[in-house]
Amino acid sequence: MSFVNFKKREVQFKIVYYGPGLCGKTTNLQVIHRLINPEARGDLTSIATAGERTLFFDFMPLVAQAIEGYQTRFQLYTVPGQVMYNLTRRLVLRGVDGVVFVADSQWSKMQENVESFANLEENLQLQGETLQTLPHVLQYNKRDLPDVAPVHYMEFMLNHGAVRQSSFPAVATTGEGVFEALNMVARQVLHKFMIVHSRKEEGVRELALV
Amino acid sequence: MAQVLQEKDSVRLRKVLLQLLARSESDDCLLCDSGGHMLALEGASRHDPFLISALGAGVFGASRELARMLGENEFSAVLHQGERKSIFLRAVDADTLLVMIFSQSANVGLVKLYSTPAVEDLRQILADIKQGPPVGDTEDSRPFVLSTETQLFSLRKE
Repeated sequence: MSFVNFKKREVQFKIVYYGPGLCGKTTNLQVIHRLINPEARGDLTSIATAGERTLFFDFMPLVAQAIEGYQTRFQLYTVPGQVMYNLTRRLVLRGVDGVVFVADSQWSKMQENVESFANLEENLQLQGETLQTLPHVLQYNKRDLPDVAPVHYMEFMLNHGAVRQSSFPAVATTGEGVFEALNMVARQVLHKFMIVHSRKEEGVRELALV
Repeated sequence: MAQVLQEKDSVRLRKVLLQLLARSESDDCLLCDSGGHMLALEGASRHDPFLISALGAGVFGASRELARMLGENEFSAVLHQGERKSIFLRAVDADTLLVMIFSQSANVGLVKLYSTPAVEDLRQILADIKQGPPVGDTEDSRPFVLSTETQLFSLRKE
C-alpha cells in the first residue's frame, strides 16, 4: 500500500524481491546499491545469518525522479528464500506495491521456483492481494551458468497467466537484467498509482526507462 | 489504495508527537505502518527514519506472531534496552506503530506512561484519517503528474 504525505510532498512505495533460496534476491539489491547514484539511495541493510543467508530481510530505500513536485521513494525489500521462513515472508509482504520474482534458471532449481511462486500467490491471498492486480515482473537469473533451462521453458513454468508479465533474463552478479526489472516494476507501480489516484487522465504522461 | 496524509493530518500528528517528545524526554518519536512506511517523525537524532520504520515494523510484526504462538492477541508493546539508547515500540492500531527512541537520561517509566495518552490521541487522528475524504476531494489535491525525466533512477557516473 503506497503512502502519500502531502505536507512533505512525498510518496512511498514498497517493492519486494521474492524467490527461492539462493536465487539472487540479495545480489540484486547489492548491485543496485553499487551502481545507483549514492545520492539517490540509502544504506543497504541486511538482517542475515553468519553465513550471509537472509534471515529476515534486506532493505534499501531509493529516491526516484518519478512524480512531479513529490519526492518519490521506493523501499526495496527482499524476503528470506528458505522454505522454513514463510512467516517472515508474510511479514515482509505486508503493504507491498510491486514484486520482482527472481527465479533461478538452473534446471535443478525449477521445482523450487515453481514452489516459491505458488508460495507468493498464497501469501498474497492471505493479505487480500492477488498477482492479477499486483504489479510484478519476473527475472530469470543466473543465465551465465552452464545448466540452465531455456527462457521459453521458464516462461511456460512461471509466466503462463492470462496476461503475460514482463520478464527479464539476468545475470545479477554483473548487473544484466537488474535495472531492467527494477525499472519495469517501478513503472508498473507508478502507473497503477496514477490510475487509482489521478482523476485527470491527461495528467498521465509516458515515463521513459533507463 | 494508498494511505494518504493530508497537511492538516500531519499537523495534528505533529502536535501529539511533539508533546510526547517533550514530556517523555525522548530523542525521537516516529509513527510507521505495518508495511514499514514512515508516517510521521519528530525528534533531533540522526538515525535514518526509513530504516527505523522498516526494522521497527519487522520487529513488531515478529513479536505479534510470537504473541499469537503463546495464545495472546498481541504484545502491545516491545522494549529494547541498551546501555546508552533504548527503543520502545507500541501498537497504535492494527496497522500503525509508535516508535520512541530515548537515551539513558530519560526514564523508561515516563516513556511508557506518557505513551498511553499519546497513543489514544494518535488512534483518534488515524481513525479520522481513515474516515476522511479520498484523495482528490480535498484542498491538498492536485493531480499527480509523472515526471518527464528520462531516467527513473539516476545511475552512478563512471
